[in-house]
Amino acid sequence: MSPPAGLARNILPLLRDAEHVRNMQLADWDDTIRLVRQARLLGTVAHRLRDQEGPWTALPTRVRGHLQAAINYSAYRVQLLRMEMRALDQALPGDLPVALLKGAAYLALDLPLARGRMPNDVDLLVRRTNIEAAEAALGSGGWKMEAKDPYDDRYYREWSHELPPMRYPGHALEVDLHHTIAPVTSRTRADDDLLFEGLQSLPGSRFLVLDPCDQIIHAAIHLFQDSDLHGQLRGLVDIDGLVRHHLSNDAQAWSRLVERAERHRADRVLWYALHYCRSWLGTPVPEGLALAPPPRWARRGMDWVFSRTCPPRIPDVAPSLGERLADTLGQLRYHRLRMPPALLARHFLHKTWVAVRTRAIAGARSAD
Amino acid sequence: MPAAITRVRDLSFPELLRQIAATRLNVDYGAATLRVGSSIPAFVRVFHLVYGGFHARPTDAEFAEYHIQLKKGRGIRSVLRRQSRFLIDGVEPFEPFAAEGALPLFEWGVNWCFGQRANQYVLLHAGALALDDRAVIMAAPPGSGKGTLAAALMLRGSRLLSDEFGVLRPETGDLIPMLKPVALKNQSVEVIRSFSEDAVIGPLFTGTRKGDVAHLAPNDASVDAVHRPAQPKLVLFPTYESGARLDARRLPGEEAFARLAFNSFNYHLLGPVGFEAIARVIESCPAYHIRYSQFDEAIEWVQSRLEEGDAEA
Repeated sequence: MSPPAGLARNILPLLRDAEHVRNMQLADWDDTIRLVRQARLLGTVAHRLRDQEGPWTALPTRVRGHLQAAINYSAYRVQLLRMEMRALDQALPGDLPVALLKGAAYLALDLPLARGRMPNDVDLLVRRTNIEAAEAALGSGGWKMEAKDPYDDRYYREWSHELPPMRYPGHALEVDLHHTIAPVTSRTRADDDLLFEGLQSLPGSRFLVLDPCDQIIHAAIHLFQDSDLHGQLRGLVDIDGLVRHHLSNDAQAWSRLVERAERHRADRVLWYALHYCRSWLGTPVPEGLALAPPPRWARRGMDWVFSRTCPPRIPDVAPSLGERLADTLGQLRYHRLRMPPALLARHFLHKTWVAVRTRAIAGARSAD
Repeated sequence: MPAAITRVRDLSFPELLRQIAATRLNVDYGAATLRVGSSIPAFVRVFHLVYGGFHARPTDAEFAEYHIQLKKGRGIRSVLRRQSRFLIDGVEPFEPFAAEGALPLFEWGVNWCFGQRANQYVLLHAGALALDDRAVIMAAPPGSGKGTLAAALMLRGSRLLSDEFGVLRPETGDLIPMLKPVALKNQSVEVIRSFSEDAVIGPLFTGTRKGDVAHLAPNDASVDAVHRPAQPKLVLFPTYESGARLDARRLPGEEAFARLAFNSFNYHLLGPVGFEAIARVIESCPAYHIRYSQFDEAIEWVQSRLEEGDAEA
């Protein structure tokens, strides 16, 4: 399918080729900067433009200022991430195998896609049998669980693939401790043995990273299974960057990716990820990949929803009816994939009750 | 004779209200421009006065750094008490204010946006003024009267760059204006009103979280030069002290550096970029701590130092 018009005008062309700036007038940047910032891609775009002298000098000065600010800010976030990783290294027992996921892994691997990417948290992966030891080590190291009510705590521990976020008081970044890469109650489940066998060591570091194919699969699961599809363009840009870096034209690597995706029962989400990467970002994906496409109706539905929920939006403009409907469908899909129906019903009941109660309290307070 | 400039005060109130309601007004502060949308008449009325000198049709108006909506309160609370809310890109960094306080809310909001986002610059927490293109940086903790002294200097002919942000460009080492109305607090309002008949001061907002606040409109000369950079020539840490005779003490570089750097909004964020830019200022400018009680004495001291070809005197 062709990408949505709002993205196709400037944002996707910019992500595909920095030279696109030469086609842009100052007025084009007014909403482009806002949208790219909404998509949390300003640092990424800024780095890509600065890395090429021509496009960077072709930019209007004020636009360059915005992008330079994003470069400076992302350098600061990266510094915070490095400091957090150093602190975590000291707090976690040396014999406990710990893998980095997502942003922290991209940084530790020094992948091109890490440049300008602004991390919000540090995602760590340990075996389920080690998660209590890891939690205890962080607890005695000074990290605290963010205040959560008992229900939320139980939700995380029983039905999720991670613990409630932890934070060292005063630190900017949260730490998420995972024991697998997909919610445990979801219909598809990753093959944990395969996942942990594939961990790779990093030179000069105690941390491990996922097998390159699993990095791609994890990013695809994160985007197409563990999210409501809303405002997730960055997720797609991540997958594009991982594919370009790890796979290139290596036919064997591609068949390995497909094989691992099947074993993780993530072939459907991988299909979607590669489909949108190729048609929106021009990611080089070989023809005739042995990946079974979803049924036609599912593809049509996903096209309709994803092309409305994925692009960033100008927040001052109310979303259209179609966009709101797509948002709702994206959320329903997310919950349906995440939990079996009985559990889902219970979860909604609880959340509705909490929302009603909170509103009642807020109403009573403001009437004072 | 350059083409006639249309200033905000040249627009009628209904015309200004219409433009702001349609989010068609761009405000050019120099270091940033902002597009603001609001349908709160109380806001537009004060804006009309304290932004009176600003250009109503700035160049390059098709691009704005920040997009602000100033909205009325909503829901049951807004029925009980009329409120104003500040939104940038859908984010609301502050609790709503009373509807009458929309302008102070806007001013704090703009400072917040600029302090958060303008990380291409080193943002000193300082007032900045210039004679021609020779600038003084006045840094001091809140309450020491730097805003008042900045206002007084402007009213005696210095060009105001900013009362709050010393916007330092790391690549060139010069300062650029971030020209906003000067927020005068508490007794400063009366002090400035009686200091000069030229002072255009907005209404007093009492009981805000910074006490009583009123806004002094920047003069036209400062507005017309918002795109003119200035070279730092003097660093000043002023303290107002009732009854004190003017007393200036030269500060060692390392002390001036620490006081400037650790008061900055984004020194911690910029790392080596901030260090080098501030070090360059300290190397090229003498730094003084001055104590004063008479504006005229202090103004003369500052302006004569800026006028001397070599501030090193």
